[in-house]
Amino acid sequence: MVQTLLKRAATLFAVVALVAFAAPELAAQQINPTESSVQEEQLMRALQSGEAVSGRITIPDARAGDLIKPDNKNWAATHGGTVKTVNVVAILGMLALLVGFYMYRGKIRIDSGPSGRTIQRFNAVERFAHWLLAATFIILALTGLNLLIGRAVILPIVGESAFGTISAWGKIAHNYLAWPFMVALVIVFVAWVLHNIPNRLDIEWLKKGGGLFTKGSHPPAKKFNAGQKLIFWSVIIGGAALSFTGVMLLFPELAGTSAQWQLYQVIHAIVAGIMTAIIIAHIYIGSVGMEGAFDAMGSGQVDVNWAKEHHSIWVEEKLAREGRPAPSSGGAAPQPAE
Amino acid sequence: MARMKFLCDADRCIECQACVTACKNEHEVPWGINRRRVVTINDGLPGERSVSMACMHCDDAPCAAVCPVDCFYTTADAVVLHSKDTCIGCGYCFYACPFGAPQYPRVGNFGTRGKMDKCTYCSGGPEADMSQAEYVKYGSNRLAEGKLPLCAEMCSTKSLLAGDGDIIADIYRERVVTRGYGSGAWGWRTAYGETISV
Amino acid sequence: MLVKRKQGEAARGRLASMAAGIATKTIDRRSFLRNSGLAVGGLAALGTINAGMTRQAEAGPTDHSRPIERRKNICTHCSVGCTVIGEVQDGVWVGQEPAWDSPINRGTHCAKGASVRELVHGDRRLKYPMKKVGGQWQRISWDQAIDEIGDKMLEIRERSGADSAYLLGSAKFSNEGAYLFRKFAAFWGTNNVDHQARICHSTTVAGVANTWGYGAQTNSYNDIRNSKTIIFMGSNAAEAHPVSMQHILTGKEEQRANVIVFDPRFTRTAAHATDFVRIRPGTDIPVIWGIMWHIFQNGWEDQEYIAQRVWGMDQVREEVAKWTPDEVERVTGVPEAQLRRVAEKFATERPSTFIWCMGGTQHTVGTANVRAYCNLLLATGNVGAMGTGANIFRGHCNVQGATDFGLDIGNLPCYYGLAEGAWRHWSRVWDVPYEYFVNRFDAVPAKGGRDPRTPEQNMNVPGIPSTRWFDATMIDAEEVDQRDNIKAMIVFGHGGNTVPRMADAREGMNALDLLVVADPHPTTFAALHERTDNTYLLPICTQFECSGSRTASNRSVQWGEKIVEPIFESDNDYAVMYRLAKKLGFADEMFKPYEMVQGKFSEEPTPESILREINRGGWSVGYTGQSPERLKAHMANQDKFDLVTLRAPADAGDVGGDFYGLPWPCWGTAEFRHPGTHILYNPNVPVKDGGGAFRPRFGLERDGETLLAEGSWPPESEIEDGYPQFTMGVLKRLGWDADLTPQERAVISRIGEFDEEKIDAVSWSLDLSGGIQRVAIEHGCVPYGNGKARAVAWNLPDPIPVHREPIYSPRPDLVADYPTREDGRQFRMPNIGHTIQQSVVDRGLHESFPIVLTSGRLVEYEGGGEETRSNKWLAELKQDMFVEINTRDAESRGITDGGWVWVNGPEGNRARVKALVTERVASGTAFMPFHFAGWFQGEDQRGNYPQGTDPIVLGESVNVVTTYGYDPVTGMHEGKVTLCQIESA
Repeated sequence: MVQTLLKRAATLFAVVALVAFAAPELAAQQINPTESSVQEEQLMRALQSGEAVSGRITIPDARAGDLIKPDNKNWAATHGGTVKTVNVVAILGMLALLVGFYMYRGKIRIDSGPSGRTIQRFNAVERFAHWLLAATFIILALTGLNLLIGRAVILPIVGESAFGTISAWGKIAHNYLAWPFMVALVIVFVAWVLHNIPNRLDIEWLKKGGGLFTKGSHPPAKKFNAGQKLIFWSVIIGGAALSFTGVMLLFPELAGTSAQWQLYQVIHAIVAGIMTAIIIAHIYIGSVGMEGAFDAMGSGQVDVNWAKEHHSIWVEEKLAREGRPAPSSGGAAPQPAE
Repeated sequence: MARMKFLCDADRCIECQACVTACKNEHEVPWGINRRRVVTINDGLPGERSVSMACMHCDDAPCAAVCPVDCFYTTADAVVLHSKDTCIGCGYCFYACPFGAPQYPRVGNFGTRGKMDKCTYCSGGPEADMSQAEYVKYGSNRLAEGKLPLCAEMCSTKSLLAGDGDIIADIYRERVVTRGYGSGAWGWRTAYGETISV
Repeated sequence: MLVKRKQGEAARGRLASMAAGIATKTIDRRSFLRNSGLAVGGLAALGTINAGMTRQAEAGPTDHSRPIERRKNICTHCSVGCTVIGEVQDGVWVGQEPAWDSPINRGTHCAKGASVRELVHGDRRLKYPMKKVGGQWQRISWDQAIDEIGDKMLEIRERSGADSAYLLGSAKFSNEGAYLFRKFAAFWGTNNVDHQARICHSTTVAGVANTWGYGAQTNSYNDIRNSKTIIFMGSNAAEAHPVSMQHILTGKEEQRANVIVFDPRFTRTAAHATDFVRIRPGTDIPVIWGIMWHIFQNGWEDQEYIAQRVWGMDQVREEVAKWTPDEVERVTGVPEAQLRRVAEKFATERPSTFIWCMGGTQHTVGTANVRAYCNLLLATGNVGAMGTGANIFRGHCNVQGATDFGLDIGNLPCYYGLAEGAWRHWSRVWDVPYEYFVNRFDAVPAKGGRDPRTPEQNMNVPGIPSTRWFDATMIDAEEVDQRDNIKAMIVFGHGGNTVPRMADAREGMNALDLLVVADPHPTTFAALHERTDNTYLLPICTQFECSGSRTASNRSVQWGEKIVEPIFESDNDYAVMYRLAKKLGFADEMFKPYEMVQGKFSEEPTPESILREINRGGWSVGYTGQSPERLKAHMANQDKFDLVTLRAPADAGDVGGDFYGLPWPCWGTAEFRHPGTHILYNPNVPVKDGGGAFRPRFGLERDGETLLAEGSWPPESEIEDGYPQFTMGVLKRLGWDADLTPQERAVISRIGEFDEEKIDAVSWSLDLSGGIQRVAIEHGCVPYGNGKARAVAWNLPDPIPVHREPIYSPRPDLVADYPTREDGRQFRMPNIGHTIQQSVVDRGLHESFPIVLTSGRLVEYEGGGEETRSNKWLAELKQDMFVEINTRDAESRGITDGGWVWVNGPEGNRARVKALVTERVASGTAFMPFHFAGWFQGEDQRGNYPQGTDPIVLGESVNVVTTYGYDPVTGMHEGKVTLCQIESA
């Protein structure tokens, strides 16, 4: 689309240049403005993708100079087609996958059972940032989805008036909550980026599918395993994309041309759909999908056995740093407290 | 029922802006909201033509397709109207509209939009015809009074035509035959998927 | 698609209303308006649109359950004369509806006409009388205002004479207002009375009247539908007269007509032409002679027409022969082939019409330009028939009427020239002794080696043109050919920014002892200067707030009905003139013929009674048949008139057989029921049906050749040849005097003072009974005679038009060949154009100021622009003053479209405006519109307007940059050619 923009600018310039240089030539000949008048058909045929039939206007709103921009209908079609499809497929698809996975694997238990001993996995700041991010994301996702499919799903249920009200509030919520979302995103990034740099262990982890599909398989991991790193980077990159495009959508002047705005809108909606799907998986694994996972973000204290199974290296390092003995690998018996 | 359309005969349009001020006058449209405007193509060059443009009241209106809250509806006269009570000012219709028709007052948060305003083909909105409530939100309802949009009625050179699509197409066709030229029914292909062949 | 009327919207829940309230307010128009202030940024002024001033009445939705009254008036902007229908409810103008029945506009308007309702609920109107005290505007009462103004005028009269008070009137007056203002000047005792015609078509009136009799459009807008070839020269009708384009474009389509536009600028009119010819500004005469060169060369002229109806064409032929295609191209830049093609079309694809406007008239050679145009029409036989003619598009809504009623330094009403006979004629009509006026005028002492004048002589000396009033305030008293300099300006409805040399005008305003501005809006006259005291503003209502007739460009007279009462404390012209006259002590004499009624604040004359007086005296131009009753009947029966011929069928009741608006001349009394004259000088129809002939005004023969028509006369004429004007003596010789009624005879005898010789001399234009006109017409004859048009007007400075370079010419080589006229004195003032032109060449100004600057109109604004720039619906469409500059010129100067630039004038003045980079103008030419004011050389003068009356849009005036140059015949300024340089600001 950016390319199209550049191409359009070039063509426009060429047309202007052509006409400008043609004008003095005409002076010597007969100038018959009636015969040489522009034709709509001609202009429409010559339109490149993303271009508008445009001209001069005296009011300050420069965009008003675009007379006919047939491509806007394409955006409308994309919005109602591809964008909607991607969202619906991604979200429903993810839900179906998870249901299937649950049916196949059930809740992933702590193999060695809870130890009763906990260690701190995330401190208050980390948890605050996470939950801020999570809460705003959920609302943003729901209000955003409402714009896309609400009229098909909610409108028939609640009726026009209530739906209008919900959507109006939704728009306000979406516009305002975008800012705390972005703040949380920054905190999360700063807090965890160092732990999320990919390393060799991740390859191993991924090879084993994180052990998710095989009972008792627990590839070693540091604070974050490769799966979590994937979530992290999805959230950071996806969140950044959503933030950037979102700001552009909020301030159309920043976005530049309406073609650019449309591009940002399409990116925003598709990224949001994919993100939502990923986050649904994240929610699954952090709640019903895995025993002991929620505590990490709940109390911040996780069971040592859970930690050893999923983040063996991190546990060792952490305990060593704290001067506690490294628990024996796969140790079943609870160690006495010191 | 008639299928209402606009047609701007650019070979008659002299960019006098009567359509614009007639609209402002009839509906007391505030500063900064331009339900109708005149664009001049090839300004200053022998091919120069001006076209008056507003909502074309499309078939399968793309604004209605993208509206998240489904606030658009089409009347029996095929006029595309919307409900300001439902509108949330998201701006989607502006980006879906090939004609730049939707307008927004800047009253929203973050410099964004208020409720959308656009040409109503002088036929108001969902409220009772010719009521005060309708006037305040959408302007007057000339269709209900048995009149056509004032922009077209007041067009200085009878360039802007409004009325049943078949009738105005005939008028245009007749003009092209009489004078031997015509720069086209601007926007018709985009709005109605057809053009006027002569 | 779903077809639905949404239900249940009204019963929205509390939640919904809350959301609506918090999120984005439902669009309520008034809050919209308030919010719009935020959105416009730089236009901070808008924020106050709704603040402060109380409004006379809120315009709002129409309540359809209660009655609405529809009132017809006429648009107050250009001269096309579009009918406006106002819908009024409870005294408030709530809506405008298309006036379908008007044959002129058929329901349509331009941007201005479609927004006139704003004028009477505009917040930016002047609300009450004000005066400046110590530099501050103060509200005063009408009584105080009239008292103080009157006292000061009387004091100035005592000290400096009546001629020291300049009465500047308006083309916005109704006919009755214009006539009353001229009469006011006569009673005050001065010929220093003028109006906008000076700066728009004074040269047209002079040029045309000197060619064939009357100074007016010969045909009509509607009649152009019949033309096969249409030339526009210096006319941009698409912007200046948009509704006329309805007729022209339809005509073009139906006739497959040639539309040829001559202009330095590719205008919106040019965009619809079949031929666009770009000329160098100020070279109209060479262009016309260039066309005629081809016509004569190829024998395309209408020889029969010339032989029958034109005098002196052979002399023109000699001058034309000098303008070979090469020389024409050297001077004008137009190639031979183009002119040849135009010449052939114009001469052979007839009927052809020639349309011109200020591009032709606003020049030092304006009158000569007009005369050249006339010659082209005469040579091709294109005057006096359907589809032909000099279609002069006038500018203001009643500039034709105001011209007709002598709001002019050189005429009494209805073109009775300044002479004893004319004064005596009007004395009889006004029922005041001739001597009364003699006593009112100044005696002029011998100054500067000139002869002194008695009051009686001074009565017949034209006054100072409105283009020079400021020179007359500041110039050495010896140089002004009247008792003293101008000390007071009484300005009714006239802007101060439409005349060149604004910096000098500003000094002139500063120098005045008294400045009175009577206008709906404070004009440049109120804001440009640095005056601290003795400055008054009087709020006058618009023509929508009073009744009266106005004359459109095609001479149709239309009656406008008051739509609403004057808003705020404004009052109409009639009442204000009455109060002022009363204060000055001549109201009893001046107003005695009128029916007086109680007006808003005082007594006032009814416009009907003023029009009846006009009917009693306007014989010379046929303003006698247009009685108020007939005019009102026309407005009520607009649907009866044919779109093309403008005539109602014979059986159309009250208006049967009439031409719409009884275009003058409408001979005889109203009872005589002359239908008016749609096409002037038309010998193809009987005089009683609007026929005519050229008017022999300049004697019966010249150089041994007759000046009467030969072999041409209107049908049914009992004299089948040319003849002079009708007098009682002529009637007697023909034996037609027997047809006069005893009453008519008695009136004629009284006018002839019962002296046989004097009775015989009583002419068709002095006979107050209308008998002479009636009898002549009943015998099929034109009352003014049947003469030839003059190709050569020997009484003008250049009897045959001669090309003369503009004062500020870009071509010193051509100045050497075609210099302007020698310095001289005209209209009580020196004209030093030649000296200045020499100095421009000597200083080499064409090198440092290489761009030719021309000026013109925009569709959104009109005249000085205060009224239209205060109209929010119009102001939004053009928010900045600009200069059009060619792409190449801009590029070489680093100027971008929309960027700020300084336009530097050759005499050191400059204007800061936005650049509009465009191919509309050629390289080396720039264009600026003339409607802006309120900035002066970069300084924002918004604070100079009384609070709340400043127009929404302000900007530099082009006339800050324009320069010296005056037509010797009329004092018209040079508004279309000067030099400038443009730089990025």
